[in-house]
Amino acid sequence: MQRSNLYILIYTIVLTVVCGVVLAVTKQLLAPAQKMQIELDRKKNILLTFMELKESDDPLKIYSSRVKEYVINFEGEKVEGNAGDINVEKQSKKPKKERLLPVYEISSINDSSKTEFYVIQTWGKGLWDVISSFVSVRSDGNTINGVVFNHKAETPGLGARIKDDPNVYKRYKGKTIFEGDQLVSVEMKKGEGKDYSDKPHEIDGMSGATLTGKGVNAMLLEYTECYQKFLLKRREMYKMAAH
Amino acid sequence: MENLVNIGIKSIFIDNMIFAYFLGMCSFLAVSKKVSTAIGLGIAVVFVLGFTVPLNWLVQHFFLNEGAMAWVSASFKDVDLSFLSFIIFISVIAAFTQLTEMGVEKLSPPLYASLGIFLPLIAVNCSILGGALFMLQRPYTFGEATVFGFGSGIGWMLAIVSFAAIREKLKYSNVPKPLRGLGLAFLIVGLMSFAFQTFLGISF
Amino acid sequence: MSTDVLDLKEEKKSEALFSKKNRQLLSNPLDSDNPVTVQILGICSALAVTVQMKPAIYMAFGLTFVTAFSNLFISMIRNSIPSRIRIIVQLAVVSLWVILVDELLRAYAFDVSKQLSVFVGLIITNCIVMGRLEAYAMANKPWPSFLDGVGNGLGYSAILLILATVRELFGQGSIMKGTPLEVHPFEAMNLPFTGNGVLMMPAGACILIGLLIWAQRARNGYREEA
Repeated sequence: MQRSNLYILIYTIVLTVVCGVVLAVTKQLLAPAQKMQIELDRKKNILLTFMELKESDDPLKIYSSRVKEYVINFEGEKVEGNAGDINVEKQSKKPKKERLLPVYEISSINDSSKTEFYVIQTWGKGLWDVISSFVSVRSDGNTINGVVFNHKAETPGLGARIKDDPNVYKRYKGKTIFEGDQLVSVEMKKGEGKDYSDKPHEIDGMSGATLTGKGVNAMLLEYTECYQKFLLKRREMYKMAAH
Repeated sequence: MENLVNIGIKSIFIDNMIFAYFLGMCSFLAVSKKVSTAIGLGIAVVFVLGFTVPLNWLVQHFFLNEGAMAWVSASFKDVDLSFLSFIIFISVIAAFTQLTEMGVEKLSPPLYASLGIFLPLIAVNCSILGGALFMLQRPYTFGEATVFGFGSGIGWMLAIVSFAAIREKLKYSNVPKPLRGLGLAFLIVGLMSFAFQTFLGISF
Repeated sequence: MSTDVLDLKEEKKSEALFSKKNRQLLSNPLDSDNPVTVQILGICSALAVTVQMKPAIYMAFGLTFVTAFSNLFISMIRNSIPSRIRIIVQLAVVSLWVILVDELLRAYAFDVSKQLSVFVGLIITNCIVMGRLEAYAMANKPWPSFLDGVGNGLGYSAILLILATVRELFGQGSIMKGTPLEVHPFEAMNLPFTGNGVLMMPAGACILIGLLIWAQRARNGYREEA
């Protein structure tokens, strides 16, 4: 059908308006549910760094009973703000000393006045995609208890090993961030299958994913630097309490 | 610089649009019977991907992202239009191909005869929209997005031209009848994809 | 398809909505006119989302939904669409539905939405949707167009499910992983099983679909000159 230009113009405008309105309304309606999902996902990931979640568990309930959120600065001092509102990606663009850093303090399951873990949050830009993680550090401010990586995988189901392989997560358990007072972080080595159990700062690599490993190493080093003062203070506190 | 080279290599060889993601398979299978047409379509894809990815990057970063419109006026600071990404991207792609087609037709009839016919086909090629969506997921800078766009296009062209070359030779082989055509094409793409996996891990 | 003929008489009397012709719109795409293996449409995503059954099922559902409603909608406005901007109007309508699906997934099936990532968006350029709009909805009434959309969506879903089942079962040794119906057949039967990496790779899907087409054509007697 040949129509006049005016008809086409009006048609386009009407179509644009209709599409725009329909989409805007849906977005408005679904936004609260979507926000909740993102929130739930974040809280679940934090919990997964130190415990296993069963089907029957209610992550939100556990979270609210055991996790205390706050924000710190580079000096390790508490500052105002809501940990959930911190956009780690945006913060990572600032120089390290100016960043705001979320901390999730996990209380012991038996004694809620005692802190068992500190969970810190990291964000890194690999060559290809974004990798982010939550790392739980034991109350000594030094020993890594667990990690949860998040990596946007583009082949559904196949995923990246860094995200989906529980064995990779286990390799981090018990490794330490500091050597004396010196920060060294934990490094994933090239190649796979070697035994690193007597090396506190090195873990076995993933074959075929050396680049991902490099990205993860850089990210962990960057963020342990950011959290360094905070963690060192916790270590002092831990030593004092032990005496 | 090193980063850009690595992104280029990765998008051409390792994360090849065809062999790693199978994007743009429809036209890949349909227009790969002759090497000459495959080259034509390949060039058109390189061109369109190379320009629409950075174009969509600009749209995303200056209009759609949360707070991206702050440059228009401070009152738009909280506007988040990212839910419109899909529809805007596909419109940008369709408009770009349409305009290029019209431009090429006016400026260079011979080029239009060899390339122009492929342009409308490309608007609905998954690899073009796929490129834009991958760009959206990865935190690229403008330069990286451009390299990624061109790299993906070149990778796609490499795939279709080499595939067409293999298919031309297939005419001389005796293939079981039900396997002829589409069935065999898939098996070949699968085998080529295995071959491309050997590029995994290459970087500077 | 043999059942179609059997209850043909009954149907004709009672309901024209599901006349024989209409039912064929639904059933043909499942086999003899399958969008993926015969019409060669929508292959991109069929290969990428079939590593596991769960994302494949969501994807199949999403595509069927989008195809059916885009067909319906375009068919309803088909006489008013100016032919010069036909493609862009179709794309706009398709994207509208796709965004709806994407937003719904984000709100109610977050983990699946994360898994499918860009592939939901890629339904827009899935050739099945555009192909059916051009070939069918632009020339037919809304109801048959809707059925045609559902049929082709189901045909696509069938291929997706076959691929995903084979890939998940022989690649990872599980069925319906990540859902309440999860089973591990090999473990249950006490058979030793190590994952098969080839099937997990995209290339494995490609070879599998090639074999599937071979088998289907050997059975249906379809020939292609190549």
